[in-house]
Amino acid sequence: MILKNILKEIRQKKKLTQEELSFSVGVSRQTIISIENYKYKPSLELAMKLALKLNCKVDKLFYFEESE
Amino acid sequence: MILSKKEVSIIIEIGFSILFAIFFLPYFFENRLNSIEFTGEMSFLSEVWMKIIQMIVFSIIYYSISYTLLEVIYKEKIIKDERDDMISSKAYRLGFRLYEYSLFVLIGILLSNASIQNSGSIMFFILILLLSVLMIKSIYQLYLYRTS
Repeated sequence: MILKNILKEIRQKKKLTQEELSFSVGVSRQTIISIENYKYKPSLELAMKLALKLNCKVDKLFYFEESE
Repeated sequence: MILSKKEVSIIIEIGFSILFAIFFLPYFFENRLNSIEFTGEMSFLSEVWMKIIQMIVFSIIYYSISYTLLEVIYKEKIIKDERDDMISSKAYRLGFRLYEYSLFVLIGILLSNASIQNSGSIMFFILILLLSVLMIKSIYQLYLYRTS
């Protein structure tokens, strides 16, 4: 199973830039880019901060996808 | 290719190591050879120790100044987060393993070669070892930043 997310989609819906989102949750822009590209799996703390900021449930923001 | 501030700071660190290798290692290599010569008043061993201490002091001063400058001028403005900690821990773990393995190699070289046991060569070997591990660690760190 691969951990994926809809961070980019929700961020764009909320009209937030990567810079703004990263600043509000206290991480670098590169970290947001890595999460959006599924390269980096955030800690529970960061995942919850992102969910809180984007006003979305954690399990909606992050989900598992069956690997082929 | 767009580089982040963190990636640039790692490249600067690699640059410091390259500069060290270019400017200081040849000087240390000369010292290594000179240390075998015996000069009148000082005993052979004390002269070797002087050379060894000189190498250690030079290296510490160089790296202290360069890393402090980098930290104050550049790194202060960089936001550190959990991804940095993850990448650092991976890179330092690799560095630590390399130190462990190379220490055994170094001990093997020292035991098998009696001529370097009583000269400044020991410190020269250790410096090369530390420099190599430092560079490999930094390159791996840069690789992790680019790929994860």
